[in-house]
Amino acid sequence: MNPPHTNNPSNASNTVLKVQNLGKEYKLYASPRERLKALVTGHARHRSHWALRDVSFELQRGQCIGVIGDNGAGKSSLLKLLAGTLQPSTGSIQRVGRVTAILELGAGFHPDFSGRDNLYFGGSLIGIEHAEMALLEPEIIEFCELGEALDRPVKTYSSGMAVRLAFALVTAVQPDVLIIDEALAVGDQHFQKKCIERIMAFRRSGCTILFCSHSPYHIRHLCDVALWLKGGQVAQFGDTESVLAAYDQHTRQRQLDEQAAPVEPDAPQTEPVEPVATLDVGGACILSVDVKDLGEAQGERPAVLHSLDLVVTITARGRGTERPHIGFMIEQSKGVGITSLATHEDGAVPEQLADGSWRSVLTFPDLPLHSGDYVISAFLFDETGLAIYDQWFQFLHFSFIFPKPLPGLVRLPHHWS
Amino acid sequence: MDRCYGGFFSYVFMLTLWNELRSVWSARALVWVLTQREVAARHAGTAVGLLWPYVQPLLTVAAYYLVFDVVFSMRLGEGAPTHAVGTFLVVGALPWMAFCDAVSRGMNSLIEAGGLLQKNPLPPVLIVMRSVLSSTVIYGPLLLLVALAYTPLHRFNVAVLALVPLLLLQFALCLLLGYLLAILAAALRDTVQIVGFLLSVGIYLSPILFPLTLFPENWRWVLWLNPVTALVIGYQQVLLLGAWPPISIWLVGLAWLVGLALALNVVVARSRDQLVDWL
Repeated sequence: MNPPHTNNPSNASNTVLKVQNLGKEYKLYASPRERLKALVTGHARHRSHWALRDVSFELQRGQCIGVIGDNGAGKSSLLKLLAGTLQPSTGSIQRVGRVTAILELGAGFHPDFSGRDNLYFGGSLIGIEHAEMALLEPEIIEFCELGEALDRPVKTYSSGMAVRLAFALVTAVQPDVLIIDEALAVGDQHFQKKCIERIMAFRRSGCTILFCSHSPYHIRHLCDVALWLKGGQVAQFGDTESVLAAYDQHTRQRQLDEQAAPVEPDAPQTEPVEPVATLDVGGACILSVDVKDLGEAQGERPAVLHSLDLVVTITARGRGTERPHIGFMIEQSKGVGITSLATHEDGAVPEQLADGSWRSVLTFPDLPLHSGDYVISAFLFDETGLAIYDQWFQFLHFSFIFPKPLPGLVRLPHHWS
Repeated sequence: MDRCYGGFFSYVFMLTLWNELRSVWSARALVWVLTQREVAARHAGTAVGLLWPYVQPLLTVAAYYLVFDVVFSMRLGEGAPTHAVGTFLVVGALPWMAFCDAVSRGMNSLIEAGGLLQKNPLPPVLIVMRSVLSSTVIYGPLLLLVALAYTPLHRFNVAVLALVPLLLLQFALCLLLGYLLAILAAALRDTVQIVGFLLSVGIYLSPILFPLTLFPENWRWVLWLNPVTALVIGYQQVLLLGAWPPISIWLVGLAWLVGLALALNVVVARSRDQLVDWL
């Protein structure tokens, strides 16, 4: 069964998703007894919480939209409404064709039945009938790499196996609209990469993607348009860069407000973050990040850079024969970001060392910063620059002393005449 | 004024309920898959599997017959449709068991399928339909089997055809009541406890254990508060006497059907956009 949708053949344009004045009200009752009373008598006795209000937008075929917003801004409610698992309180949603949602993978699997059995059942839940599933089955089995485990009960599966099966199932048929809720972070690296590849293939062949993420990085790379939700309403909808810029300003402002609030502003905020590889030992990870000519940290004070050049050597272990990409970010210790760079953005490639690991040396000659405390982060990406294999986020603070005592943050390229 | 009229119109013609039925019909293939799975899941991991749900009511019914008719040879007095107690009991008890099973499964269906409904875009009515159907595929064949076993009594009189509308009526009653209770139970879980109690005493408020004539005349009206009473009298007429059920049976059954449908229509319309949040 497909989610109920309105087919509108008279609409000749390429609109695949049209949302008008969408609102979702959660009725909060003092107790379940009040709920039953309201149901029987029809009198409202509740407080209202509007998770979404007056949201309208349109998506064309092949567009990719990123949904961003703070926690509780209504992102999940919007996605669930679009997927059809929640019913709107006001407004309407018009969908064309098949809508697939990767919200919570593996829901509806019965633990006592085999993977294959759950595959057919799960298929019927998303509108793939038995005969069609029989045709799709070999490809799904190949994609999820479960092999013989497919005939074992799902309760014997690891969570990763169940997720693999579920992802392979929901993406077995190319949808017209694909809804993803940060599901890119599933499974191991190998499978994550396959997921991203499949989603990119959908996108290339004209599938409309609605993608919800906290990561501006992914939204910037994947999406043409962005929707910023704030308190259940659309704060901004439009071209990705401008929406992300506005959102970025909003989060920084919020952080400033939060920093202004605490009573003890002098508390050491910069607890040393141990560089811990976030993923398992066998996978791709950052091995080391060295900063040349860096002194020793003096107690609370960060280490001082004894050079006018900043030279950072990042070494990483890749995955198989794939050539990874390496990213770098520098920010003020307590303040704004300054720049972020990545090899795939600059058309550079890391070089492979004799032991198979990868290394990039990033040099900022005559570092164009003023005196101050800075913090750096290192990132390891896959070949396409979409999956983040590893990150050492804000892991090293250092002090830089610019010999001329002028105020400012960066020295911009300039000339006097 | 216009809105009032619209609301009235939609209540009288039960537009909400029609929409629910339409969504069941358009997803009938899925409903069937869900039903098969529900039946299979109930006894997954047992050796006999699918046979269990059939064996249990069958053994109960067989026990009634053996104890009352074979071992004790108990007889009913004047005015009863038959004199053998066991034979009489089976005709009412099996439909009652079917009714209890379908209604309680229907009532619990939404709460139990909460996770499924929150994560898949399915109309909740499909889940109720699945549960009532999964009960029907067990008890329907059993009721037909009993009808076959009673051939010596009704001798395939044409009136046996009345079984078909009786079974359909029972199915419709179970579906409407199960759905109504499922929504009420979603709003307030205590519904399950209250209905559980009512189902356990309901058998005494029906002409299942004793023929209608044995009840005190002044109190007979209480029996009609039980939706099963009309059905049971119908089954007794058909299977024990080979006679057409009286018109009063059909009228009462229909009244129950319409009353439940009206109530359900209101409750569905009021809970539609929040039902899944309550599960």
